Amino acid sequence: MSAITAPLRRSRPTAEPSQSPQLRVVEEPVVRHTLAYAVVMVLVLAAAVFGAVSLNALAAGASVEARTLEAHVAVAERDYARLVAEVAALEDPARVRAAAMELGMVAPGPVRHLTLERNLPSDGAVPSSRTPDATTDPLKPLLSLER
Amino acid sequence: MPRTRPRAGTGSTLRSGDELAIRRIRWTLAIFAVLVVASTVKLVQIQVVDAADLAAVGERQRARTLELPASRGRIYDRDGDVLATSIQAATIYADPRAYRGTRTPEGREVPPAGEAAVVADRLAPLLDADPAALRERLEQDRHFVYLARQVDHELGEEIAALELPGIGVLTEPERVYPAGTLAGQVVGFTDIDAQGLQGLEARYDHVLAGEPGTLLLERAPGGLDIASGIRELEPPVVGTDVVLTLDRDIQHVAELAADDALERYEARGASIVVTEVGTGDVLAMASAPGFDPNHRGDEDPADRRNRAVTDVFEPGSTQKALTVAAALEEGVVEPTTTMEVEDTIRIGGSTFSDVSRHETETWSLHQIMERSSNVGTIQIAQELGEERLESYLREFGYGQPTDLGFPGESGGLLMPHTEWWGTSLPTIAIGHGVAVSLVQLANSYGTLANDGVAVSPRLVRGTVGEDGRLSPVPAPRSHRVVSSETAATVRDMLEDAVSGEFGTGGLARVEGFQVAGKTGTARKPLEDGRGYSDQYVATFVGMAPAHDPRVVVAVMIDEPYPFYGGLVAAPVFAEVMEAALLALRVPPEGSGTDLSTAVRLAAEHAELLAEEAVAEADAAAEAVETGQVDGAEAGGADDPP
Repeated sequence: MSAITAPLRRSRPTAEPSQSPQLRVVEEPVVRHTLAYAVVMVLVLAAAVFGAVSLNALAAGASVEARTLEAHVAVAERDYARLVAEVAALEDPARVRAAAMELGMVAPGPVRHLTLERNLPSDGAVPSSRTPDATTDPLKPLLSLER
Repeated sequence: MPRTRPRAGTGSTLRSGDELAIRRIRWTLAIFAVLVVASTVKLVQIQVVDAADLAAVGERQRARTLELPASRGRIYDRDGDVLATSIQAATIYADPRAYRGTRTPEGREVPPAGEAAVVADRLAPLLDADPAALRERLEQDRHFVYLARQVDHELGEEIAALELPGIGVLTEPERVYPAGTLAGQVVGFTDIDAQGLQGLEARYDHVLAGEPGTLLLERAPGGLDIASGIRELEPPVVGTDVVLTLDRDIQHVAELAADDALERYEARGASIVVTEVGTGDVLAMASAPGFDPNHRGDEDPADRRNRAVTDVFEPGSTQKALTVAAALEEGVVEPTTTMEVEDTIRIGGSTFSDVSRHETETWSLHQIMERSSNVGTIQIAQELGEERLESYLREFGYGQPTDLGFPGESGGLLMPHTEWWGTSLPTIAIGHGVAVSLVQLANSYGTLANDGVAVSPRLVRGTVGEDGRLSPVPAPRSHRVVSSETAATVRDMLEDAVSGEFGTGGLARVEGFQVAGKTGTARKPLEDGRGYSDQYVATFVGMAPAHDPRVVVAVMIDEPYPFYGGLVAAPVFAEVMEAALLALRVPPEGSGTDLSTAVRLAAEHAELLAEEAVAEADAAAEAVETGQVDGAEAGGADDPP
């Protein structure tokens, strides 16, 4: 067992009469309001928690809304694809022919062509908007490079 | 020996107590130090050494990755009309574990969620399936079984609303062909997983397929998605649309004509190819019997093939135009050349004869072509020689597949001239001993129509990306085969073959247009290639307008009766050519009808139709009066014509 040595005693400094006494003005010690500090901290923490929860709730709400919109987009895309297929089926020449014959139409007779003695006044005056153009159909792709 | 507690107040006691406290503190520090070191080691192991693995494990536990299928591109005709597209369909599946008791990992019994028999009975009428078969599938020892794939989306929603235990509904794309049989063999089809199997669906599968995307979600332990969790979306790349050169209206007319020829001539098959001169665009490619890719399981597999590119045949007399073109180009003969032509010629121990007996005549090249003289053509080929004949035929596209790249395309058959024997030259000169596909034959006449420049045929005009704009494919290869003068001369001869007094293609005439073309009738070789059968292939290939061709139409009818190309193939050609010229708005040649005459003709035609309708109505009424038919059937005759 080791021996414990006693702390060394320091000799107290002797006062020198030639020096002035060490006196100074001290301020009133600051009183720390522990309760107020705790309340502030609780409020800050509560605000932080509330903010985090609020942000989380907002994010969740936005996420749900995004999913709802995605579902709507998916439904719209599905309907669009189905409508495209239905339009194509309705435009099928075989179906159109069968429907026409069912309505009592008959195949045309021999094709003849006319030669006009002179040009009609309206020749070349047909506005382009009235000419048939496959690319004006919104269901069809733009097949012209000029557009 | 127990220690005696030191008494307070004495120096020795103080030393003893401090010593004990210090010892306890040291032990405590030592224990804390060990704990700190252990914690640090563990922390380093978790945060540094195993960090990546643990992060991956965590992600696996909470993350769920969904594969988002890519929408397959559409297939359009040249005007943007849809020939193939995809719609969303429902797939019904089951988890058979729901119908049998299981145990948890802790060994607890979990009762079945439902009875397979009950579920099968409820699903059977909806899925139009046998309840016993459904039950058998529900009781399989698996985790996942399909019950029905790609049914109507509404039916899927109806089944999902039933909330049957162990039954789920998925959404997956279904490939549909809205126009049914239209261009069925050309467009082809996909399997149920949307992978191209045949036709252009297979040829351009890499373009149409697109790339699937992924959606990464976070989920809670119960399996529910965490709304505010990670959500990483990598959208699928939509497949590229493909625009074909086919014209839907011309294709329809061609298919109608092929079906009609099949029935009228009791033929085994019929094919028609329509190409645009100069561009090589295939405007129509029809094969009969037809084929509906929407119901491919119900169809004869033999009907799925695109006969115009997969089947080869001997071109017969249609070949003579190419033989004469080669001879003209080589200067062996001139447009004004005449020659003595007997009705038979003997070469290599075999006798070749013309179809009709005739005296020895002095015929020009025009007359040889007009009368489709075998002997005259063979005499020209003898002047040309084997090597040059083979060379020109290859330049015209014989003996090699076209640039279509169509799955199963045949390159035809043309032996090298070094392997020809005594009768090969005369045989091949008149279209026997050589085999071509219909698209090759159409392309060779397209060369004559295009002033001697061969342009590779093509079925695809371009692709359409997400911006909806057409990206055209590179221009097809082209090369000159014969001069424009030679091509024009041969076209004149072919015009005589249709319009001439002795022409064999008179039934190919189209009102308002000069047609140039040639008939062909060839016996079919036996299956083993040794000799010929009693069956024939009738062909006609031609172009219009003759002096500035816009369209080439080739017709092949397999085993028709009667079998002459001029009788069975030529009328089909005329029908299709007329429709093609109208669809392309090609102005008629020559003088048209003046207005007063046209009005009179139209009135006469309307009057004729009215008379026919009245006659039919009278006949129907008379039949009703005599009791041959009931009133309900007769009612149809009263309908307007």
